[in-house]
Amino acid sequence: MTSAQPPVSNDFWRTTRRSFTAMIRRDGFGLLALVVLALVILGPLYSVVLWAFAERWRYPSLIPTEFGFKFWEQTFSRADIAAALPFSIVLSLVVTALSALICLPASYAFARMRFRGRQALLLSFLATNAFPRFGLYISIAVIFFRLNLIGTVPGVIMIQLVNTLLLMIWIPTAAFQGIDRSLEEAALDVGASPLRVFIQITLPMVMPALSAALLLTFVNTFYEAQGALLIGLPRIVTMPVLMYSLINSQLVTQYGAIVSFVLWLPSLLLLLVAQKLLRGGYLTAGFGV
Amino acid sequence: MARLDIIHLTKQFGNVLAVNDAGFTVQDSEFMCILGPSGCGKSTLLRMIAGFEAPTSGDMQIDGESVTALPPNKRPTAMVFQKYTLWPHMTVYENIAFGLGLRGLSRAVIDQKVHDSLALVSLSGYETRYPAQLSGGQQQRVALARAIVLEPKILLLDEPFSSLDAILRVRLREELKRIQRRLKITAIFVTHDQEEALSLADRIAVMSGGQIEQIDHPSTIYANPQTLFVADFIGAMNLLKASAQDGVLRLGGKQLTAPNGIQSSDKITIALRPEDLMIVPDGTPDAWKAQVDQVMDLGHYRKILVDVPDVGELKVYVTKSMTVNEGDRVSLLPIRYLIYQNDAAPIEVNRPAAALT
Repeated sequence: MTSAQPPVSNDFWRTTRRSFTAMIRRDGFGLLALVVLALVILGPLYSVVLWAFAERWRYPSLIPTEFGFKFWEQTFSRADIAAALPFSIVLSLVVTALSALICLPASYAFARMRFRGRQALLLSFLATNAFPRFGLYISIAVIFFRLNLIGTVPGVIMIQLVNTLLLMIWIPTAAFQGIDRSLEEAALDVGASPLRVFIQITLPMVMPALSAALLLTFVNTFYEAQGALLIGLPRIVTMPVLMYSLINSQLVTQYGAIVSFVLWLPSLLLLLVAQKLLRGGYLTAGFGV
Repeated sequence: MARLDIIHLTKQFGNVLAVNDAGFTVQDSEFMCILGPSGCGKSTLLRMIAGFEAPTSGDMQIDGESVTALPPNKRPTAMVFQKYTLWPHMTVYENIAFGLGLRGLSRAVIDQKVHDSLALVSLSGYETRYPAQLSGGQQQRVALARAIVLEPKILLLDEPFSSLDAILRVRLREELKRIQRRLKITAIFVTHDQEEALSLADRIAVMSGGQIEQIDHPSTIYANPQTLFVADFIGAMNLLKASAQDGVLRLGGKQLTAPNGIQSSDKITIALRPEDLMIVPDGTPDAWKAQVDQVMDLGHYRKILVDVPDVGELKVYVTKSMTVNEGDRVSLLPIRYLIYQNDAAPIEVNRPAAALT
């Protein structure tokens, strides 16, 4: 009985090879672009991961000569890291939540209402991104200094909120605008109240875009360093700020590598969770793919 | 299920009168079509009945009770939209059950109603599909099921089939008519497609420029268009400029039988249906000499374009049994026409049967 069956794996490889060569013939440029992109994106990551687990890595060997977790223990026994990691996570969550609270109603208004200066206001959110950030931060820092906000948690939250405005207003505005009004009219027509229409019809339809906006806002805030550095120091130290100082002032390369590796994890986890929670293609739809 | 009264209904957008003093009654279980070119205000009229637009003045009453002040979610109307408006994040079942759930019905009752309504539109078994998995025709059928499952007093349809291809459009039209007959539901159907209106409606309201031009049974609309607009808009028509003097009707040097009561004027229009021009043997009294310019085979009949000296080019329908070739010289006799004068109702002229022999 078994002998009658065709060699499955052989067949599989043959078809795979065939489709692969067909792909190269059909779209050689695409494949080349893929390889280059993979090298550019994955190359640096590869180096960081190797350094994070290396105990000994000296020129001229291509990979570390000894792997181990020695530096992990050392890194996490540092008091500054033990304090900064949970603080950074909570800070990012708070900033994301506040940003949503402020921006989502605003984006609904931008999408649905016609008022004077709408276009100018909408464009003004680009302004914070159109100029070098640092200049903006310096002038804000001067004001914050007078208001005694330097080195305080509210100060850092406020400076980070500035960064989130563009994403949290533009993406949801586009999403609300993209919804066909007759879908809402149809719901009104079968007897739903305006509030119910918003909750059960409008909101689910903009959810992919809102999730994308929330996710990007969280990740961006989590990695934001300039503003946090300028406004937060000396008392407030977030993970990226700490990473800067570890990379710049430590002789041990592994500290920086381990911290950057750890900094990856939240966004990676979040992306995975989001992909699981949201239906297939839902999130990518939110990113406009 | 119900009677609808439209009373002096007007809608103004800025300086534009979208609907100008509309007034009519749709009887219980009647199928009324509102027909007109795009921009004539027909959709605005329907949207006022549904509650999506507030009228500038006037009243709407369902079974004698005013609904003008009610928002759309409180009106006993249900609408099928022109665009596909199924909610993409809900299955077919959820789409249809949404309105029922709002009415606080039990799960079992909702199940039964959704099932029945899907059977009515021939889509049993599609409950778990998402709208994106349905064709355009199927989506509009679900939209129809979603509307009728609520047992509305008035069913409103805003060009629901206009984005479907021609064959499907005709099939869904027949299906809609059958469902409407079966449920005896009062329906108002807006369309710019006269064939759709003529085949569906018990009565047609023809609209133009915000004004209702005529409300009548389809055959009456076709046979006796009350205004020039309706005459031109419904079906094919030859419109000819004419003049009258001392009781004699003149058309490009030809004389036509004029009825009594025609006033002297040079602003008269004669409306002549292509099927009311007969090809007659040469030498028939009062016949017009013409030359055939073009012959178009349209299946069960032929449409020919003829050139009549001093009158112009006319459309004529002839049966297939008659041999007509391009370049032929023929004699034509108008056997029925309408005379329009001074915005008044037209005067109908029927040539006595004796003249044909």
